Amino acid sequence: MRLTKLSERRLRPACVSKKMKLSFIRPISCCSVSSPATSVKPQKPIFLRPPTFKTTISDLQKWHHWAKSLISSVGSTFLELDNGPDSELLLRELNWLVEDAIETPKSFLQQPHKNYNDNSSVAVRASLEQLYMLWKRRVEERMPFQYVVGCEHWRDLVLSVQEGVLIPRPETELIVDLVDDAIKENGELREGLWADLGTGSGALAIGIARILGTSGRVVATDLSPVATAVASYNVQRYDLEEKVHVKQGSWFEPLRDNEGEFVGLVSNPPYIPSKDIGGLQAEVGRHEPRLALDGGASGMNDLIHLCDGAVSMLRPGGFFAFETNGDEQSKFLVHYIETKKQGNFSKVKMVSDFAGIKRFITGFRGR
Amino acid sequence: MSFLILGRRSTQLSRIPTRELFLFSCSFSSQSPNNSISNYRSTIFYSWYNSSNRRNKGFSSIFNGRAKNPSGSIWGVRFLSSEAAVEPTTADGLTVEGIIAKNWNILDDSEDDWKSHASSIAQSVHLIKKRLKWKRLMYRLEVLSAQLNKADLWDDPVHAGKISREHGSLMNKVEDVMAIEQELVEHIDMIKLAREENDPELESESVKALLGIRRNVKEKELEALLSGEHDNCSCFIEVQAGAGGTESMDWASMVMQMYKMWAQRKGYGVSVVDEMPGEIAGIKRATIKVDGENAFGYAKSEVGVHRLVRISPFDSAKRRHTSFVAVAVIPILGDGSTHVQINESDLRIERYRSGGAGGQSVNTTESAVRITHIPTGITASCQNERSQHSNKASAMAVLQSRLDQLEMARQAQMNAQHTQSLTEISWGNQIRTYVLHPYRMVKDLRTNYEVSDPDSVLEGDLDDFILSYLSTSIDKDEE
Ligand SMILES: C[S@@+](CC[C@H](N)C(=O)[O-])C[C@H]1O[C@@H](n2cnc3c(N)ncnc32)[C@H](O)[C@@H]1O
Repeated sequence: MRLTKLSERRLRPACVSKKMKLSFIRPISCCSVSSPATSVKPQKPIFLRPPTFKTTISDLQKWHHWAKSLISSVGSTFLELDNGPDSELLLRELNWLVEDAIETPKSFLQQPHKNYNDNSSVAVRASLEQLYMLWKRRVEERMPFQYVVGCEHWRDLVLSVQEGVLIPRPETELIVDLVDDAIKENGELREGLWADLGTGSGALAIGIARILGTSGRVVATDLSPVATAVASYNVQRYDLEEKVHVKQGSWFEPLRDNEGEFVGLVSNPPYIPSKDIGGLQAEVGRHEPRLALDGGASGMNDLIHLCDGAVSMLRPGGFFAFETNGDEQSKFLVHYIETKKQGNFSKVKMVSDFAGIKRFITGFRGR
Repeated sequence: MSFLILGRRSTQLSRIPTRELFLFSCSFSSQSPNNSISNYRSTIFYSWYNSSNRRNKGFSSIFNGRAKNPSGSIWGVRFLSSEAAVEPTTADGLTVEGIIAKNWNILDDSEDDWKSHASSIAQSVHLIKKRLKWKRLMYRLEVLSAQLNKADLWDDPVHAGKISREHGSLMNKVEDVMAIEQELVEHIDMIKLAREENDPELESESVKALLGIRRNVKEKELEALLSGEHDNCSCFIEVQAGAGGTESMDWASMVMQMYKMWAQRKGYGVSVVDEMPGEIAGIKRATIKVDGENAFGYAKSEVGVHRLVRISPFDSAKRRHTSFVAVAVIPILGDGSTHVQINESDLRIERYRSGGAGGQSVNTTESAVRITHIPTGITASCQNERSQHSNKASAMAVLQSRLDQLEMARQAQMNAQHTQSLTEISWGNQIRTYVLHPYRMVKDLRTNYEVSDPDSVLEGDLDDFILSYLSTSIDKDEE
């Protein structure tokens, strides 16, 4: 206890000077609507755009038919190549694109094979040219489907995503459940201050904000300006401006004001070892930002930094949950915390994802 | 006299059985405790009052304080124990059963013949009562009324809510039928009176009214087919291909398509929960959710094995093939029902088709999960939602329904056949044959109902099959 006090005091002067400097340089990074003109403009996902384009059923069917033939040429080649999508999955994605892009998708999908001469018009949220271009990029350039439609369904949310932001993964959904469990056990956590470090699209921050109590707050940080812009947009869409503050900066830096006040920290930092980046599935390696993936030589640079910093950021009894690359990293980190951070944390454990991989480490700041 | 009759007409004869009216007539009941009709109405009032207050716990004390009518008996019980006194009769003592016994000719409803209308109405009422299992229903109502009158009923609000809901719903049915009977005898009285008074206008008005009732009650005959405890629920329909490879998988997808189209025609919401496609065509198995009033009541008629005979498009030698598909239907119990409690710790949740490292290294829109309930070994999966979280929620809903179904089967509350899960349906249990070659026909093996146009059936025109099955299976049950 006294140790932390000391270290806090030692940090303070540096902290203050940095803050002063920052207040001059740093752009307004909180999710206010008044972000400076230089900031990235978030893109609207297709399903939220107005259906201002008109096309005919028959033209749409031609596009659909073409898209399907593109899919059938894929077969299982991507699957064998790099565990990419097979044609069955691509077909399902095509249906989802139709659902997102057409104003009345049901009637279209239910009788796609009927006739090609139907000249009645349909309202669409993207032009036919865009639809051709998007699907071509999906199949030929392996652009992730979520960038095609501009959104990812994650938990019960539909989050806007675009190139430059990591697409939130299904595994990561579980972190919100872990937080939920922790909150249920200790009501104080429900009303306190949380942080989501490296928030990306804002997924974790938003997911957590929605299960916190009325005075619970989340600070979401990211180094990437695209990520903070997209996260702010998503926070707005879910009406959480009061609860979630998006700040730009590296890891704990934007949080210095509230050092020691956090009741919870979560993060899904980059954790892929640098040497593995080249061999990634095309959707990931060619399209997602390297800043979101590359965790240095061992993949654990950022995770270790987070474990180190958590000690001074968390209040006694505070909770943390971090995502890792799997069994090896999780085991290493638990061992690291138990030996190097002896006495600072309690109940440190590994938690598996639904594939049985030890995906997360969780624990509490000692009291 | 005619003045009096007009007075009666305005309060009774032309009365629409709305609840407001019952409320109104109730105010008389305490002043005329010996009038059986008033008592009947006050019971109905009580049922209305009760169902509209079922969420209000404070109501129980009002009820207990005021439930007794002046003669000291409790409304609901009095009504039931004095059923004989309530039975509607004409002025000269003719009852509904009496009308049937007269055996008046039933002519087409375009004929202006009051005896024909009356006879048809009486027949319908008889059929409806039989379908509702009237005696059993009245007995159940008595049991429920007794429970509702217990002072400590609301100590367990969940149980109380259940009892009160069931009582309300049964009461509605009884109320409906008795109102028809009452109107029937009153119009007969009226016609006789009109003849005595030589008032043809009045007579034709009543004949017209009888015709209206006759048509209306015909529709009610159908409704009465769905009087099972869970009939009004939404449901899951599951389809599984039998042996025989691609041909039977194709048949499975045709059957699934038939149900999707049937459900859409009926205005139900349809969503695919789970689908395991075949390698070349069709599906190995699939589950859809059908959302809407009475979905289970109708769809349960489809449980069993469906057989297809045709020249297989997958056989290059163009031979005739016979293939089979099993269909199971699971009710989705409403919030008012008791669900099996599922322990989180009894569940194993796995990702389907999780290849490779997962996490940041993988981008996929495939987020299917399978949930296993370890103590029973029952599994459920969902892959059609766009997030893992939603797939899990849908799979949990399927699992919950399967466990509820298992529990119902254990309690043997339902017709055993309808509670069968897909794996329990014996391939010998064929219910319907669809022949596309060498002739064209669909025939239900349970009812012998058949049509010669398989295409319309496969496009979801199933109601006639369903209704003929429901009526044969219910009407053959002797009460
Ligand atoms: C794997 S992504 C996770 C994104 C999001 N939390 C999720 O789970 O979908 C890692 C995120 O960390 C951010 N990041 C990388 N280096 C960072 C740093 N030094 N400080 C803050 N954030 C950083 C990346 O921009 C990226 O958004």
